[in-house]
Amino acid sequence: MVWIEGQLTELKLRGTTAWMVLRDPAADMSLSVSCPRDLVAAAPVPLSEGTQVIMLGRPQFYTRNGSFSLRISEIRAVGIGELLARIDRLRKLLDAEGLFDPRLKRPIPFLPNTIGLITGRASAAERDVISVAGDRWPAVHFAVRNTVVQGPNAVPQIVEALRELDGDPDVDVIVVARGGGSVEDLLPFSDETLCRAIAACTTPVVSAVGHEPDNPLCDLVADVRAATPTDAAKRVVPDAAAEQALVSDLRRRSARALRNWVHREQHTLDQLRSRPVLAQPLAALTARGEEIHRARAAARRDVTRLLTAETDRIEHLSARLATLGPSATLARGYSVVQIVSNSMTVLRSTKDAPAGTRLRIRVADGAITTLSEGSDEAH
Amino acid sequence: MKPISRMGYEESRDELVEVVRQLEQGGLDLDASLKLWERGEELAKRCEEHLAGARAKVEKALASRDDEEA
Repeated sequence: MVWIEGQLTELKLRGTTAWMVLRDPAADMSLSVSCPRDLVAAAPVPLSEGTQVIMLGRPQFYTRNGSFSLRISEIRAVGIGELLARIDRLRKLLDAEGLFDPRLKRPIPFLPNTIGLITGRASAAERDVISVAGDRWPAVHFAVRNTVVQGPNAVPQIVEALRELDGDPDVDVIVVARGGGSVEDLLPFSDETLCRAIAACTTPVVSAVGHEPDNPLCDLVADVRAATPTDAAKRVVPDAAAEQALVSDLRRRSARALRNWVHREQHTLDQLRSRPVLAQPLAALTARGEEIHRARAAARRDVTRLLTAETDRIEHLSARLATLGPSATLARGYSVVQIVSNSMTVLRSTKDAPAGTRLRIRVADGAITTLSEGSDEAH
Repeated sequence: MKPISRMGYEESRDELVEVVRQLEQGGLDLDASLKLWERGEELAKRCEEHLAGARAKVEKALASRDDEEA
């Protein structure tokens, strides 16, 4: 008896026997199993294609047709709790290996040449990514690889598509997109083989699997985690309109800044040129000239006034001198006679002027010097 | 007594003022007062010459300045 685990890929009920094919999603191996029909009906979960199960069986060889299969005697569903616990163990393992290290994250290009897109054929995810990216950047180019995105064949197909796109030199970024689903539906995206394949890619990988609350492991190994396929499109493709608006705004701002600069400088220059020294270069000279003019006028006035005052003063002194002296008497014809000597005494008596005495006769307009011939009485 | 021809205007004027003051004060004999009066006359004449010379200089300077401005 052996326990085996796998995903149901086929389920046929024939008579009292159920025929199934069990597949290992990663190893690409299948095995036929059979069991009583009642066992299927009594299974703990409804069995259908894609269900993950654990079965206990005994090898059985049909000599009639040479086929080998397991005859199942017990079926156990792999519970959601068990699935999540396994995913968590794998997450810890990969984390310990450093596959989630932020330093391994490659930056995605601003504007990719070709976007590799791995998604389900005609899926909503494919439509969302292509239409949103096209709206943002009409010239965007995709290389699309359609694979199954759930069930036992998903992992090998996605891994193959990844390898192919990673090898294409035109592809700058790879988007793995899938819409939301149950934990079982999203199982391939937490598969160890797929996670390692994503980590091994040299091209940046964007994971856009499920919706916000879903957290498959490929989100952690991918270089960028997008919440939804629409979000992935926004991340890998710039918004042409927004970029154009940004460029226009920058151009407008730089032009305005330059205009303002010129305006400011012009204003400064105008102000400088309106300063008195530049606007009226002769003003300083004119002011000095006026100063000189005023000083000259004042000097002229002052000197004239001084001369007038002094002239008045001298005239006044002369007038007083005239009244004090004998001028008036001399003017009437009298004269004063002095004996010419050191003392120049006034002649008062004929006796003082014998013949030969030098005399000075002062009259109104001056003086003459003469010699005495003696007294008239002596003749 | 200093020769009047070598005296400046202020010196001549100040002495003239002094001469007039002495004559007004009186008390001098005729000889002295006549001598003082003659000295005063000469000082007054000297002052007038100084002033006339100064006035002529000013007028000449002003005339040449007017020529420049014309």
